[in-house]
Amino acid sequence: MIDSDMKKITNLLYMLAVLLLASCSDFLDKSPKNTVDPETTVTDDVAIALTNACYRTLQSSNMYNQRIWTLDIVAGNSLVGAGGGTDGLETIQASNFITQSDNGMALYMWRSPWVGIGQCNIVLNSLLEAEAVSERIKNRCLGEAYFLRAHYYYVLVRLYGGVPLRLAPYNPGEPTDIARATVEETYAQIISDCKNAVDLLPAKSSYDDENVGRACKDAALAMLADIYLTLAPNHTEYYQEVSDLCDEITNLGYDLSSCKYEDNFDALVNNEPESLFEVQYSGNTEYDFWGNNPQSSWLSTFMGPRNSDFVAGSYGWNQPTEEFVGQYESGDKRKDLTVLYAGCPDFDGKAYKSSYSNTGYNVRKFLVSKTVSPEYNTNPANFVVYRYADVLLKKAEALNEMGHSDQAAVPLNIVRKRAGLPEVSGLSQETMREKIIHERRMELAFEGHRWFDMIRVNNGEYAIKFLHSIGKSNVNKNRLLFPIPQTEMDANTLMVQNPGY
Amino acid sequence: MQKYKMPIGRLRMMVCLIGMLLPMCMFAQQIIVQGVVKDQTGETVIGASVMEKGTTNGTITGIDGDFSLNMSPNGTLVVSFVGYKTQEVQVKGQKQLQVVLSEDAEMLDEVVVIGYGTMKKSDLTGAVSSIGNKDIKDSPVSNLGQAIQGKISGVQIVDAGKPGDNVSIKIRGLGSINNCDPLVVIDGVPTDLGLSSLNMADVERLDVLKDASATAIYGSRGANGVVMITTKRGTEGKGKLAVSANYSFQNATNVPSLLNAAQYAELSNDMMVNSGRNPNPEWANPSELGAGTDWMDELLRTGVMQNYTVSYSGGNEKSHYYVSGGFLDQSGIVKSVNYRRFTFQSNSDAQVLKWLKFSNNITFSADTKKSGSYNIGDALKALPIYPVKNEDGSWSGPDGNSEWYGSTRNPIGPTELNKSQTDGYNFLANLTAELTFTKWLKFKSTFGYDAKFWFIDNFTPKYNWKPTPTEETSRYKSDNKSFTYLWDNYFLFDHTFAEKHRVGLMAGMSAQWNTNDYLNAQKNVFMFDNVHEMDNGEEMYAIGGNETEWALLSYMARVNYSYEDRYLLTATIRRDGSSRFGKKHRWGTFPSVSVAWRTSQEKWFPKNDYINDLKVRAGYGVTGSQASVGNYSYLASYNTSVYPFGISSGNQTALVSSTLANPYIHWEEVAQTNIGFDTSLFNSRVMFSFDAYLKETRDMLVKASIPITSGFEDTTTTYTNAGKVRNQGIEMSLHTINLTGELGWETNLTATYNKNKIKDLNSDVPYYINQINNSYVTMLAKDYPINVFYGYVTDGIFQNQSEVNTHAVQPGAEPGDIRFRDLNNDGVINDSDRTVIGNPNPSWLFSMNNSLSYKGFELSVFLQGIAGNKIYNANNIDNTGMAAAYNQTIDVLERWQGEGTSNSMPRAVFGDPNQNTRVSDRFVENGSYLRLKNITLSYTFPKQWLQKARIENARLSLSCENVATITGYSGFDPEVGINGIDQNRYPISRTFSVGLNFNF
Repeated sequence: MIDSDMKKITNLLYMLAVLLLASCSDFLDKSPKNTVDPETTVTDDVAIALTNACYRTLQSSNMYNQRIWTLDIVAGNSLVGAGGGTDGLETIQASNFITQSDNGMALYMWRSPWVGIGQCNIVLNSLLEAEAVSERIKNRCLGEAYFLRAHYYYVLVRLYGGVPLRLAPYNPGEPTDIARATVEETYAQIISDCKNAVDLLPAKSSYDDENVGRACKDAALAMLADIYLTLAPNHTEYYQEVSDLCDEITNLGYDLSSCKYEDNFDALVNNEPESLFEVQYSGNTEYDFWGNNPQSSWLSTFMGPRNSDFVAGSYGWNQPTEEFVGQYESGDKRKDLTVLYAGCPDFDGKAYKSSYSNTGYNVRKFLVSKTVSPEYNTNPANFVVYRYADVLLKKAEALNEMGHSDQAAVPLNIVRKRAGLPEVSGLSQETMREKIIHERRMELAFEGHRWFDMIRVNNGEYAIKFLHSIGKSNVNKNRLLFPIPQTEMDANTLMVQNPGY
Repeated sequence: MQKYKMPIGRLRMMVCLIGMLLPMCMFAQQIIVQGVVKDQTGETVIGASVMEKGTTNGTITGIDGDFSLNMSPNGTLVVSFVGYKTQEVQVKGQKQLQVVLSEDAEMLDEVVVIGYGTMKKSDLTGAVSSIGNKDIKDSPVSNLGQAIQGKISGVQIVDAGKPGDNVSIKIRGLGSINNCDPLVVIDGVPTDLGLSSLNMADVERLDVLKDASATAIYGSRGANGVVMITTKRGTEGKGKLAVSANYSFQNATNVPSLLNAAQYAELSNDMMVNSGRNPNPEWANPSELGAGTDWMDELLRTGVMQNYTVSYSGGNEKSHYYVSGGFLDQSGIVKSVNYRRFTFQSNSDAQVLKWLKFSNNITFSADTKKSGSYNIGDALKALPIYPVKNEDGSWSGPDGNSEWYGSTRNPIGPTELNKSQTDGYNFLANLTAELTFTKWLKFKSTFGYDAKFWFIDNFTPKYNWKPTPTEETSRYKSDNKSFTYLWDNYFLFDHTFAEKHRVGLMAGMSAQWNTNDYLNAQKNVFMFDNVHEMDNGEEMYAIGGNETEWALLSYMARVNYSYEDRYLLTATIRRDGSSRFGKKHRWGTFPSVSVAWRTSQEKWFPKNDYINDLKVRAGYGVTGSQASVGNYSYLASYNTSVYPFGISSGNQTALVSSTLANPYIHWEEVAQTNIGFDTSLFNSRVMFSFDAYLKETRDMLVKASIPITSGFEDTTTTYTNAGKVRNQGIEMSLHTINLTGELGWETNLTATYNKNKIKDLNSDVPYYINQINNSYVTMLAKDYPINVFYGYVTDGIFQNQSEVNTHAVQPGAEPGDIRFRDLNNDGVINDSDRTVIGNPNPSWLFSMNNSLSYKGFELSVFLQGIAGNKIYNANNIDNTGMAAAYNQTIDVLERWQGEGTSNSMPRAVFGDPNQNTRVSDRFVENGSYLRLKNITLSYTFPKQWLQKARIENARLSLSCENVATITGYSGFDPEVGINGIDQNRYPISRTFSVGLNFNF
């Protein structure tokens, strides 16, 4: 009996062994089920999805959802406000020009453009060789990636100076250290990418209703004009380029007289006729509001007057200064649309009290009624990066710098007319320059342009003079660039810190 | 080797029954000797064997320890019983005898559970500590983890406070800056089941494998120690029915005293004036406000816990069974917190064929945790100036100027309106086949199945809370499932060669795999508050789900060799392959070796009553930990996300490469050296164990230093195996039998010392973690212990302006503010003046238990404590900050109000311009405590009272847990989390309990 039992056992064991060995080979191979293998064949759909990812970084609070508009605070248009304590401390330090390399704002603004660049590099790398992608989609996607890479580098170069040029995806195992390029080299790359984008991208008007909002030729032209205008103080030949590019945009069918100022900030009006490029938000709550790709705009939530219950959130950030509000010419229709002040028209049926703010003012431009956005994380308002009024003012600036102050008054007056202000004429070049920069400040207030305008005019001398005039005595030439964040300095041994930090 | 030590009671009964079955042999010319067998505590010994020496004549003691034997008047009685020294008594014609058995060196005969087998304690070469059911049975707690707190040297346990939540267990210090929880093995199945899902009454014993020679058999999961839990099994003999009932009351051990309304109003006025603001005109006369609302009092209540267990067990020589059902219901000391648990245990085994035995364990538990929506922090901060409810019955709340009236939501309303509930169902089963080939060779195959389901259900109705309303009603549900499968196959060999060389071998393989998936969803906007199923929600807020998997394939072997029971050697090896690592880094080998020398077994060792037993041990081994490694972190992948385009902002899919994969990632490794000795002294009345260890963690996962320019979103979530941590310490445990006889007295002492240090972090830049109010409290840095507090050092209070002026530049400082030390002497107080201000890791853990017995009474007094650690009292940032409209503790009544009024509590000033509340040693308190952890008095009713009711045993116990605590800590309780930060923690309870146990 025992013998036959033993035989059974032996057989059983033998079977066990076979089972085990057979199952071993792939037993330990487990792969994630909710992610996609990077080796996936690039089809039209995959190309579009990879390209869509290049835009996500724009939505980040590190860029247009917070840090870019808080540059207006650094530029002296407003104060942080916020909740006191350490809330917004990094921005307060930046606006007092006492940042160190561990400053949070310097870190956050550095972080996201690189993520965007990394994503653009993946698209450019995988699309150039892709065979399963249609020509139309390939060109469009490449154009979008070139546009966005140029844009991210353009943000970086103005904030930090020359930066490393990483133009291919980083692969694990490669050295991570990378040295800075010069400012000139960085701009050369940006201009090259931007020109590629101009060539490859379709015009805004050619996008269907589902795809409007993608980077378009119009936006690429506007960015190229902006880049040339920034470089023009040292390359005066670029003023003509700026003027020509602006004309090219006008010829694509833009007309400011048919556009309402407030539509640019209306949560329910997306990609309106005045805008060339917008950061898109859906107000969708499924994505983490505090995370890296909030699908909801932070602006209303952050800028609502604290404790006012005007809008969902109402964290009280971005309080305009007395000096700024004092710059409005009388009759400027934009004032009531831009700031809240004691005695201003009611917001959503509620009267504003100056006690809501340390300065007595809050930003109104981006506030979204609770009927549209009931919760702090439901605001679908897009953020306008480039719009036609900005293009007109660029043209005015270029013409004035070329000595055509009278011609410059034409585009300037289009903008002034919409604001309900009288036309200007017969100004000297110097007065006209002041008039244009003033107009840019009021027209584009809190939209993240002021800081970049101040540091380009007169190679930054304008910024230093202005900031000193409003009592920001710590500022000097070095402080017009942010420090390279300490975390980057620590991890990248080839990185060199900006002077003065 | 395969035998457990059976509980004495059960064995007695069993042997008693066998005894009755034995034929009584009768001899002529004999006398009848009658007697009683007792133990040293005076308790009668049931089922002891009483034999006439040199014959087969014998009997077994009865239910009162009595025996009666026909024997030769000149004969000698041999009285023996498991766990006691065998005693010989010469009869010399006496007809009445009393025999007192003394306990054998009990600890040495114990059988402990080690991985894939058991071992006699005397054969152990590694560091293993054990606790039996009798050590925990009287603890009036719901969680096994709470019951073993302080009882095992080298094991730090921190209670979560909240009913149903799990304790944290750390063995021999923090082995890693990452997850360093021990592996839990229940009845041989490694599981992530929480200890809270077990009924303590079903637990037979708990063994903690501490050193690498003991844990290496669990290879890549053994680095942080292993907790082996064994549930009860039936024994041969008649069926046994046990019923236990326990009823307890609970209260918070300590509640900080807060200001009343009048005191708060006065403080508020002070705070306003000092910051140049207008005080509230309504509070011109603060005393008018009276006492106001005591929010903590409103939030806390007397909790009630009821715990009932019924079990029946038994068996015959071929099969055994143990079945139990338990019910526990606990209302928390915080309103809205409730816990209810059903547990079932069914263990059985059967020798089906001569060569084949099956055994199984089934543990099932179902629990419901209702936590409502309570917030300890809000209750501490809420102002006493408004009532719980308004006159119209609505919940009150701050309204008007937030600088006066605050902005903290009513802390009581949400506990009644909001619902938050987790239902858990845990099923753990295993089936083992044991094949016996020969006396010395066996094969075991175990299949284990661990299924967990948990369902989270939150409901938040819209309500016009002040100052911030909840705008929409929302319902969130999350359904989670986790299934773990285990298949172990191994051979066991045990043979003694030439009567001297005993060799034990274990060799086999184990495969374990898991799938885990979840589905969650939230809907908003419901028309009716009371009709709020998912079907009724109008707006889809979010929906998500995913499935993950892991697998582990292992081969393991162990050799035990013993030469004449004098020289002992254990060597183990385990080779693990894990699905969490890339193909090239998947396999790892974890060896260990340990030796022991039972010095007292040497022939030259003097036989005396002073040293009865002495064993010296030493061991070394390498183990791993993969608890902190993500399931797929070695793999590059694209995540799906969205970006909206178009007129209607329609989401389009985006493929994102967000994390840099580390294809080289592998487990953390711990190399541990252990030396120790066990000794039994003075007729085995003193037993002492000592261990010293050095635990070196290497390849610890630390954040990889990846430049942001690499282009990945999460440069902070890529980990690399580059850190090092060292833990070194000693552990001691002492068991003494002080008094024997009618009055028995035993003492257990444990003491543990541990020192922890980070040796390397892959970067000289420290990590700062645990952010509170935008500042990091905790630092991880090379050459410091894990989790040290990092901040400014206070230096009293500025008494006048000239003190401010002469001090380093401290922006915002005025008289009455805290003076911070200028540590780097640069004339400015800034970030560079921060330093390490406290270590939350205790250097000493200690405990002492005294148990006294007299007749049926037993009294045990258990003291437990920790020393050398600091607590960061983060509740006090708001509650003594005097910087915002939050209620404060009464400590602020001693605040600075003019020169010379205080040198520790600063002035009240709204907005805190000097940042008096910054991270500093102001909030660091001594965390040492000595706690009278438990007092239990029990009474076992005399048998004669019970016999008529057919009750075999009845016992009444009165117990108090967390009786009193000596501590300098000012918060609720010094038992805070492992990281030492006390913030919004659920308060620890003091429990009074009455328990009744019956055995039939």
